[in-house]
Amino acid sequence: MDSTSDDALLARLARGEASAVETLMERYAGRCYRLAFGVVRNAADAEEIVQDVFLNILRKHASFEGRAALGSWIYRITVNTALNKRRGKRNELETPLEDYLPAFKADGHREGDRAVLVADWSQSPDHELAAAEIRRLVQEGIELLAPPYRAILVMRDVEELSNEETAEALGETVAAVKSRLHRARMALREYLTRRLGAGGPA
Amino acid sequence: MTCQEAIALLADYLEAELGAALVADLEQHLRGCAPCVAYLNTYRKTRELGAEVGRVEMPAEMRERLRRLLLQGLQKGAPPVDN
Repeated sequence: MDSTSDDALLARLARGEASAVETLMERYAGRCYRLAFGVVRNAADAEEIVQDVFLNILRKHASFEGRAALGSWIYRITVNTALNKRRGKRNELETPLEDYLPAFKADGHREGDRAVLVADWSQSPDHELAAAEIRRLVQEGIELLAPPYRAILVMRDVEELSNEETAEALGETVAAVKSRLHRARMALREYLTRRLGAGGPA
Repeated sequence: MTCQEAIALLADYLEAELGAALVADLEQHLRGCAPCVAYLNTYRKTRELGAEVGRVEMPAEMRERLRRLLLQGLQKGAPPVDN
């Protein structure tokens, strides 16, 4: 996002211009909501997070001007707020990711039943599953992931941030982001394969 | 290249971030390995599906509540900065 126009936007907010609220929302509310929802997985909590983040922008606009890009600050504070919110809800069952990662033999070949290993549901019209049913399975799979993995999936695959931008927002290294993204996708792939691969949903 | 090594490279492969030599090794492995081809295809599809499902829109009434909240905040004037 153009930081010059963000500076102008912050200046308009500082002057109390109502139209600046509109611009701010147009530019960032959707992204903020997608990231928050992607982590907490429910609309009510995501709404609270978006409200917190945007009220914070109003409160602290002076401290952004000419400094960090507003967009990356919004991602950072959104993801942190969302992860904190989820930290209070640890009682939910989260499946160990390892259960969904590929297993290998000592020689580096995949472990497992060959029919499952070669199952390719990526373009298979076999199940003719309704799009809604596939969406439901994908959502279930995402919910099995721990929140930090969900955050990376949203930032990289939905928002299409770079590894570097994602790492900056999370305060992680690029290597950690890349590794977690790969593990998250592998786990989700495995979940979908188990539900779709062997001849349709169980 | 083993399957384990091949699968470890998939994310970088899909982003075209691998060097030519690794790409050649990986593609050679893929030519002889049906499980890894299936893995690559379903991995790629998983990424697409995750992106599709993640593209949620903020509901209109929620947007309206946010707008009202922010306009109120704006009228009250910025509360003191506490950092």
